[in-house]
Amino acid sequence: MTATPLIQVRDLVKEFDGQRVLAGVNLDLAEGDIKVVMGPSGCGKSTLLRCLNRLVEPTSGTIHFRGQEVTGPGVDVRALRQGIGFVFQQFALYRHLTVLGNVTLGLRKLRGLRRAEAEQKALHELDRLGMAEHRDKYPGQISGGQKQRVALARALAMDPAVVVLDEPTSALDPVLSREVAQLIRRLHDEKVTLMCVTHDLQLARSIADQVVFLDRGVVRAEDSVARLSADHPDPQVRAFFGRETGT
Amino acid sequence: MNFLEILVLLARGAGYTVLVTLACSATGLAVGLAVAMLRRLRLPGVLPLLDVFTYVFRGIPVLVLLFMVYFGLPGIGLKVPPLIAMVLSLGLIAGAYLAEVFRGALDSVDATEILAAEAMGLSRLQVLRLIELPQMLRFAVPGMVNEFTTVLKYSPFAYTVGLPEITKQAMTLTATTQRGIEIYLAVGVMYFAIFRILLVGVRWLERHYRVPGMVPA
Repeated sequence: MTATPLIQVRDLVKEFDGQRVLAGVNLDLAEGDIKVVMGPSGCGKSTLLRCLNRLVEPTSGTIHFRGQEVTGPGVDVRALRQGIGFVFQQFALYRHLTVLGNVTLGLRKLRGLRRAEAEQKALHELDRLGMAEHRDKYPGQISGGQKQRVALARALAMDPAVVVLDEPTSALDPVLSREVAQLIRRLHDEKVTLMCVTHDLQLARSIADQVVFLDRGVVRAEDSVARLSADHPDPQVRAFFGRETGT
Repeated sequence: MNFLEILVLLARGAGYTVLVTLACSATGLAVGLAVAMLRRLRLPGVLPLLDVFTYVFRGIPVLVLLFMVYFGLPGIGLKVPPLIAMVLSLGLIAGAYLAEVFRGALDSVDATEILAAEAMGLSRLQVLRLIELPQMLRFAVPGMVNEFTTVLKYSPFAYTVGLPEITKQAMTLTATTQRGIEIYLAVGVMYFAIFRILLVGVRWLERHYRVPGMVPA
C-alpha cells in the first residue's frame, strides 16, 4: 500500500486575465522526498509554488496537503502557510531586522514563543547552517550565499512539513550555487521534505535523481536528466535538457 | 535693552511656540500614520474618504481653516480653545501632508519582503506592523523633518487666536520699544534655535535606528 503523499496536486489550473499559466498540473511529493521542477521561463514554475500556500489562488483543480484539500474556501490559510516554509528567489530577508531577528520573528509572532526560547531555537537553526556567528548582522551586511542560508534557517525554524525553494541559485555565483546544492543535499539527508524550482541544471542534477519538466503550464515529463536529454520522445524536452547539458 | 535682554523677554513666548509645534506635529504624525495605514489595508469604502481628507486638507490654507475652527465653530455652539483650534487646523493639515509622505515611503518597502511575511503565515495587520511600518518610518525621515519644520514656521498663526507665542511677544515688545529690527532679528534667531534642536533630535533618532545597508526599494 502506498502512503498518501504529503502534497498531491491534481489538474491544477491558474489563469491570469484569461491566459493559462498552469493548464492542469499533476504532481505528488512524498514525505522526506525532494522534487525538482524545471522548465523554461514563464512555464508556471513559480506560480505552481505560490499556489501551494495560496499566495496565488488557483482557478481550478485540487491541492491536498497532509491529506487535506487546501484550495477550498474554509481553509485556514495562515495555518497552511506555517506548514510550508518558503524560500524566495531574492531571499526576501527583512532588512530592518538582524539575522537573528529574521529567524525569531515567526517563532515569536506565530508560535508564541518567548524571546529567549525563540532565540535559542533560532540559534540552533542558524548554527546548523553555519550562520550563528552572524546573528547580529543585518541582511545588508552579509553575502548572497549567507542570505540564502538565513532564509533557509528562517523557514526551517518554523518546523514546516515541506520547504519550497524558488530558484535558490539564480542570484548566486557558481561557487555559492554549489554550496547551496550541498546544503540542500544535507537537508534531504536529514529527511527534510523539499520542493525546488530552478533553471539551474547543475543544481537539479546534484540534488535529485529525477526532475519534473514543466512546460506551457503542464508537466511534460518526469525522469532523470540524462534520460530526458538523450532518450525522451519529445524533441522539445530533449532540446531543453540537451541544450543545457551542452553548456 | 540689549539683544540678550530681548531674547530673554521673547523666551516667554518660546514655550508656547514649542507647545503649538509639538501638539500640531504629534497630531499630524498620528493622523498621517492612521491615514497611510488605512489606505495600505485597502479597507472597502474607506479609500474615497481618505482621498477626500488628504485632498481637502492639503488644499486649504492654514489661516483660513484656523479661523473657520476658532471663529466659525462658536457660531454653531462649539467654542474651541486656542490650542485645540491650532491642532484641528495646522495639525490636521500636517496630517494630510504626512499621510502622503508615508504613502510614498510605504511604496518603497520591498514587495518581496511583504510577500515573504505573508508566506510565513503573518496576518495582513502583522505584516503592516512588523515589516512595513518599521521600514517606512526610516524611509520617511526626510519628509517628516520637512513637515515638522513647516509646522514650526506656521506656528506664529497661533497669535491670531490669542496664544502668546514668540511672534505675539515680539509684536507687543515692538509696540512698546520701537526697536523692530533687533526684536525681529531675535525672533529669527529663536526660531532657528528651535529648528536646530528639532533637527538634532531627529538626527539622533535617525542614527539610533539606522540599519546598515537599508535603502528604499
